[in-house]
Amino acid sequence: MIRRDFSERDIHMALDGELPADERTAYDAWLDANPEMKARSTRFTADRAALQAAFASVLDETVPVRLRKVVLGETPVKAAAPRSRWWLSAAAAVLLAAGGLSGYLAGIGGIGQEDPAEDRLAEQAIAAHVIYAAEKRHAVEVPASDKDHLQTWLSNRVGLKLVAPDLTANGFQLVGGRLLPAGESKAAMLLYEDDKGERISLFVTTESTENAKGTYMAAQDGPQAVYWLDKGYGCAVVGSLPHEQLTVVAKSAYGQLLAGLAS
Amino acid sequence: MDEKKAAILGEIPRLRRYARSLLRDRDSADDLVQDCLERALVRLDNWQTGESPRRWLFTIMHHLFIDQMRKVNRRGEAAMLPLEAGEAVAQPAEQMESIASREIIDALQAISPDRRAALVMVAIEGFSYAEAANILGVPAGTLMSRIARGREELRGLLDDTARRRAIRIVEK
Repeated sequence: MIRRDFSERDIHMALDGELPADERTAYDAWLDANPEMKARSTRFTADRAALQAAFASVLDETVPVRLRKVVLGETPVKAAAPRSRWWLSAAAAVLLAAGGLSGYLAGIGGIGQEDPAEDRLAEQAIAAHVIYAAEKRHAVEVPASDKDHLQTWLSNRVGLKLVAPDLTANGFQLVGGRLLPAGESKAAMLLYEDDKGERISLFVTTESTENAKGTYMAAQDGPQAVYWLDKGYGCAVVGSLPHEQLTVVAKSAYGQLLAGLAS
Repeated sequence: MDEKKAAILGEIPRLRRYARSLLRDRDSADDLVQDCLERALVRLDNWQTGESPRRWLFTIMHHLFIDQMRKVNRRGEAAMLPLEAGEAVAQPAEQMESIASREIIDALQAISPDRRAALVMVAIEGFSYAEAANILGVPAGTLMSRIARGREELRGLLDDTARRRAIRIVEK
């Protein structure tokens, strides 16, 4: 029998029928010897069954006449760009998912080598920015008018001495801030706005064990994150400004944050 | 009716199921299927004889989905869309859904489109890793990573929902 070490990756392969048949016995023995992995396998199996059950009835539905007509040539085919607005519903779903944001952020800290810690920080910061910077009336939990309380509250919750950077020299005024989940930890989000209504946000979390810095863009032409990771904390500045401008603002913000932490 | 069209008709139920898992709202999902069928008919000549109609159609539909999601991101419409726009807000499907089904459908909608597509391809549509990677146009390693992370994310969201439900029960 071939002996090899199994990992969580094999749980997915086994579930999806991709595990070679001759490894199955050894895999089952490994599962039996690892209760935690076995529980995970059981859970994923149940989730998959639930997913299949949730969509099973679609196959039994009568096919809408309009779809049959397209194939049978009874509707003139338009070669032009898609006319339908189905993607709007997909966009709305992004907003509706705001309720599940904590889960989304927690879920990002999953497994796999695809995203190292800095990607995770940047993804979390961008996700928060996309959702909250678009909010007109509910963008922040504590407004800038209550700045002292905002700083004390976020410092206590996140566990860092946070001083909201003054970015007026860069044309940005503090709007306020909010507390967010970040993986196992918590994050502070500070929102700023310029006189044209352009918003940037500052995302600070204590969850970090490595040193790194860089720029991260989740989607082409979407908001960018400029981030720093130090042992003990991470910081990302997110916005849709031109890259050079964002970098300048981010450096100013980071410098002041560091000074605040040390004060 | 020619053979190709018959084969395409036969795939509509599967295409509708895939679209529904990507978009949730029934009408929006059928709009996506319609766009896919229209594009397929225009490109009927590109369909190689011997190529599985399922794989060919799923590839077309996936491209439509991803292209539009990217455009939405680029224009920032995801962030700017007013919630009052009734037509845009996904309504729960009209048929009776059990609470468990509704929760898992909601959770699926909340994970990233790339991971959602990868997970659905394999877990619901039953494609092999090789087939799914081919349709989605990504290396097998990326597909596996998306599936693994998609499952983790889904689990986290379902646990959150369960926790919130538990809290509501306690509050009563």
